[in-house]
Amino acid sequence: MRHWLDTVKRWLWPGKRAPTTPLPPHVLHKVARQIEMTHEVEYSCDDVLRLLDQFAEAVLRGEDVAELMPLVQRHLDMCPDCREEFEALLRILRASRASAT
Amino acid sequence: MTKRTNEQWLSELRTGGSRREAALADLRADILYGLPYALRDWLSPDAPQFSALAEEVTQETLMRVLDHLDSFEGRSQFTTWAHKIAVRVALTELRRRRWKDVSLESLTNSAEGDSSSQPIADTAPGPETVMEQADVLARVQKMMLEELTDKQLRAMMAVAIRGMPLEEAARRLGTERNALYKLLHDARLRLKRRLAREGLTPGELLAVFERG
Repeated sequence: MRHWLDTVKRWLWPGKRAPTTPLPPHVLHKVARQIEMTHEVEYSCDDVLRLLDQFAEAVLRGEDVAELMPLVQRHLDMCPDCREEFEALLRILRASRASAT
Repeated sequence: MTKRTNEQWLSELRTGGSRREAALADLRADILYGLPYALRDWLSPDAPQFSALAEEVTQETLMRVLDHLDSFEGRSQFTTWAHKIAVRVALTELRRRRWKDVSLESLTNSAEGDSSSQPIADTAPGPETVMEQADVLARVQKMMLEELTDKQLRAMMAVAIRGMPLEEAARRLGTERNALYKLLHDARLRLKRRLAREGLTPGELLAVFERG
């Protein structure tokens, strides 16, 4: 059986034809989950970077950031790059706080 | 390290002479202190390349801090803002190194290592469910083909499905990370609206996949 990735490739490069091989369920499951989490208005990576220091400090203070900064929270739920950066920043802040006490 | 208010940081970094040098030295030490925590999941501080990377990241961060002092809005501690810049610089470099030999094409050539190819439901679906799933899969696949541009489809496969960092996918697609996020957001919105036009909600779609 032709691999599903061949199907994708046939869509993407010259001589595209309608796909005949179905994409596997796990691929479309991921797509469906992302669609479910999609909102009309979402912050971009630059929007979030501008607020990330403020957001991380709010998390450190134990504030309800999902309530206070929902668009940042939503973006972090969707964007792995920004989430990694947020988690890395939070680790620094926690270490700094621990060393100061 | 001398404890400073945000205003003191800005003032000292903007003035010349020994006060500026002292502030820079303290900021440099603070950034170097934070990097092992920030990079814990990427690189051990004991790794031979850690010191050189930390030095490179710190230098670049200090330059960016000085270049962008006017953009600091004072909504956080000044040092938190500086650490945020250091994290961006460091992870950008580490992502580049980790993915440097991976092309978008190779991501669509190999399904190995894709742990998500496990069955979605806990139990094997019955024949009726299998038929329903096949029908829904075909509909979603058709929607993707009809609604998304080639670039959106390539980006979605690389980032959302195969786990390539946005930054790296953007580099390969000749765009910026911010623009790529917007492109993917537009792709997700197109699919969501199409689902709605076809009378489906994302929840219903997920329920079909997760039904055992």
